[in-house]
Amino acid sequence: MFKAIAKGLSITFKHMLPGHSTTVQYPTVRLKMSDRYRGLHRLVPAQDREKCVACYLCPTVCPAKCITVESAENEKGEKYPKVYKIDMLRCIFCGYCVEACPVEALEMTDAYELANYRREDFEFTKERLLK
Amino acid sequence: MVNLTIDGKQVTVSKTATIYDAAKEVGINIPVLCYAKKLLPYGACRFCLVQVEQMKGRLIPACTTPVSEGMVVTTTSEEIQKVRKTVMEFLLVNHVLDCPVCDKGGECDLQDLAYEFGSISNRFEGVKFDLPTDEINPLIERNMNRCVLCGRCVRVCDEVVGYGSYSFINRGFETKIATAYDRGLNCEFCGQCVSLCPVGAILPRPFKFKARPWQIKEVDSVCGYCGNGCTVTLGVLDNKIETIRFNDEIGVNDGNLCIRGRFGYAYVNHQKRLTKPLVRKEGQLVEVEWDEALQVAAEGLSNAQNGQGVGILSGARLTNEEFFLLKNLAKTIGTDHLDHSGGECYKGVSEGLNETLGVKASTGTFPQLESCDVILAIRSDFWETHPVVGMVVNQAIRRNDAQLVVVADKRGKLTKLPRARTLLTKAGYELSILNAMSKVLLDEGLAQVDGLQNLDAFKAALSEYTPENVAQQTGVDADLLKDSARKLAGAKKSAILLAYGLPYTAQSKELAAAAANLALLAGIPGRAGSGLYLCGEKANSQGAIDLGVLPAGNGLGAQQMLTAAGEGKLDALYVIAEDPISSYPDRQMVEQAMDKVGFSVVQDLFLSATAEKADVVFPAASFAEKEGTFTNAERRIQRVRQGIKSPGEAKTDGAIISALANKLGNTLSFTGEAAIFAEIGKDVPAYAEFNYHEIGSQGVVWGGETLAPTRRNLVSVSAEQPASADYHLVTGSALYHSGTVSVHASGPLAVMPEAYVELGREDAAALGVNDGDLLKVAGNGVEIQLKAKVDNRLPKGLLFAPYHFGNAGLNKLYRGEAVVAVSVSK
Ligand code: SF4
Ligand code: SF4
Ligand code: SF4
Ligand code: SF4
Ligand code: SF4
Ligand code: FES
Repeated sequence: MFKAIAKGLSITFKHMLPGHSTTVQYPTVRLKMSDRYRGLHRLVPAQDREKCVACYLCPTVCPAKCITVESAENEKGEKYPKVYKIDMLRCIFCGYCVEACPVEALEMTDAYELANYRREDFEFTKERLLK
Repeated sequence: MVNLTIDGKQVTVSKTATIYDAAKEVGINIPVLCYAKKLLPYGACRFCLVQVEQMKGRLIPACTTPVSEGMVVTTTSEEIQKVRKTVMEFLLVNHVLDCPVCDKGGECDLQDLAYEFGSISNRFEGVKFDLPTDEINPLIERNMNRCVLCGRCVRVCDEVVGYGSYSFINRGFETKIATAYDRGLNCEFCGQCVSLCPVGAILPRPFKFKARPWQIKEVDSVCGYCGNGCTVTLGVLDNKIETIRFNDEIGVNDGNLCIRGRFGYAYVNHQKRLTKPLVRKEGQLVEVEWDEALQVAAEGLSNAQNGQGVGILSGARLTNEEFFLLKNLAKTIGTDHLDHSGGECYKGVSEGLNETLGVKASTGTFPQLESCDVILAIRSDFWETHPVVGMVVNQAIRRNDAQLVVVADKRGKLTKLPRARTLLTKAGYELSILNAMSKVLLDEGLAQVDGLQNLDAFKAALSEYTPENVAQQTGVDADLLKDSARKLAGAKKSAILLAYGLPYTAQSKELAAAAANLALLAGIPGRAGSGLYLCGEKANSQGAIDLGVLPAGNGLGAQQMLTAAGEGKLDALYVIAEDPISSYPDRQMVEQAMDKVGFSVVQDLFLSATAEKADVVFPAASFAEKEGTFTNAERRIQRVRQGIKSPGEAKTDGAIISALANKLGNTLSFTGEAAIFAEIGKDVPAYAEFNYHEIGSQGVVWGGETLAPTRRNLVSVSAEQPASADYHLVTGSALYHSGTVSVHASGPLAVMPEAYVELGREDAAALGVNDGDLLKVAGNGVEIQLKAKVDNRLPKGLLFAPYHFGNAGLNKLYRGEAVVAVSVSK
């Protein structure tokens, strides 16, 4: 019995030694996120426009109903999103939108620092998402 | 009837059914792509392959193979699925698959089938087409890279629309659908090909990239334009009508529409819609609150009633319920001067048919037309006024070999139909020809005279109308006339078509009576399958007659009201859903009436020429913004449903009329349209058998499929001699417009943006006129200028100008005569 206690405590004490802590000194230290991490969205740019073709699949699949797309015709007669915005306050970061996109125009980055002071700032417009 | 077995289920169907029809009967779904309910079997795609026990060794297309006794059909098996999947692969070899930017995505048959068969890879490889998109017209876009060569567009445009825009060109892999010389689409823009294309190869341009099909709210309603009464399904997004959706499950039109119904909805969303009531203050119309406007109107009207009286003039775009309220209001005001649609034009129904047959409506229904053996159309304009009935006539000819006879002063779409026989007469002589046909039937003993009243007097009155005399007068071949009469009498099922409306006011009663006489002699009224169709120009023309929006007792009709007002003998006019200054015959008379009358109230969607002269203007709601019922030209009562909210403070005509009645001290109020409809039944017995909530998707027809005449009375009518001159002008309806509302709709405007005068090549050459030149047309002491349109529709000496464009001032010239004697110069 004592043996078991000693073993347990040794693990505990080992973690107290320098270099064995799992806590990261955020914000001075930042973790590298996994490639599969689902953080802030990004609209992928193409040559002279966004890659998105305004097919409406992401707003349709989105369970939180937080994507707004409005399609229109550009000067070249192509379909493009005149409006594209995501309401990050409602997003549940499920990633369905990325999965639904037929042209891989949407991806999720590792950005997770999304806190803000005003509600309006949680509305990510096309311009912000393209950055 | 034939018995067969499909997937182990016993089916009994008629011997004309196909395997596909039979399977559908028992709820077995066979995948199809090129099949369409309303088209003849074609068999282009081979998706519908099935196995038939008796035809071993190959698979059989279900959509083209007729059933036969004892057939044993298997609709799915591993082999069949494999073959269908291969068909899918073939189709996808050169399909562009740009679903993300294709407006059809989400309701595309090819997508659905690919999903159903789980097609994710292709064993075959081919080059994708990169054909340019056909965008030469503003309404329909064609992208042949997406075409699956089902031929549905080709077939519908030919079989149903009778236009024939498309055809297959080239061979093999290069095959594609093209218009004449591959110049791009320029047609009548009915949009039937858009409706029927199973993929995104033909799409409506005004809806381009607007939305996905699943985002759209669909509201089933009735087209607000003509008396055809087509059901339309409004595609609504964010309180705006964005498109008209194809729907062949409801209504009498089988999903067919004309350009006005398909593309003419845009006026509803127009920026210039009135949104606030206006009252004239110090000579200017200024926006005021509803209460003030109603108060001013109520005071003005009651003062006028205490003086020399109030006249109420309505258009035929109100619902039946609103007409009922209007009659109520007339009672509250205490006036008998109530009329609609300019008066004269509907007299063919209210008086002509009433005196001869004792009914005030068409005697048949539109679907019956398709199985008629002989169809007599009076004027070629019937296709223009009621395009979708025209399509039924086309199908009667193509599918059932009907003989069409057109008595017309000009050629038109009707006269171009296969085997159509045209009795081309000098303008204004239609009545004489009908009389001559009646005479032929009587003289040759072909007439059904049992039980006809006034036969002897009628015979005597016809003595002048021998075919030879009439032939000489009108230029119609006497033998052709005789033969046509014989054909009409000899047919088991026959129909006579005549449209009425504002541009057809001359002798409307007489012409209808002559048609009814001929119908009686040919045994048409009351015979199942046959009918005399007198069709109103507007969506609810028939409702206005049924509900009696007509002068009562000593009341004045429309024309008399306007004359009286012009002479200072009427103190107020209340004009609803009508722009008399733009559309009524004799503009000077109408203008004088509006100028002289002490007080006037106009209720409309736009600030029309008439509204500009009013003292009070009420902003009204369009058909898409209200609930109620319309009665179409074949007596079908159908539900109109609200799709969107009215702009600004505009209210429905019903709400305005009620509020006004309230101000005038009438406290009667109803809890919605159903209650009013029930109330209508008390006044109009024919409506009493129906319950508002039970009016289904096909509507209900009062008086039954074949309305039995209550009287068979021959009424002698004689023709007026039209004025004689070198040039005659007739007016009428153009295919692209209806009334004066469509001139606010971008779709029809894109195709026909302005007024014109049409003349034949011969006259054009003689006058040295080219298409687009300005022509001076003078008659009745007035001269107007119109753009010339030259084609070969009109005979020498005849000009035609459509009446829709108020700003062209055609009605300064046209005063309600059958033809106007004019002089023309460059
Ligand atoms: S991650 Fe999920 S909730 Fe967020 S926008 Fe995409 S689909 Fe919507
Ligand atoms: S036609 Fe159908 S399958 Fe072809 S691109 Fe359009 S939606 Fe996709
Ligand atoms: S719009 Fe109508 S007339 Fe024109 S091509 Fe299509 S079906 Fe034919
Ligand atoms: S354009 Fe459409 S309707 Fe016409 S053949 Fe091609 S796929 Fe069929
Ligand atoms: S205008 Fe007449 S024919 Fe055309 S769609 Fe409307 S109701 Fe039908
Ligand atoms: S649906 Fe039968 S061949 Fe196309």
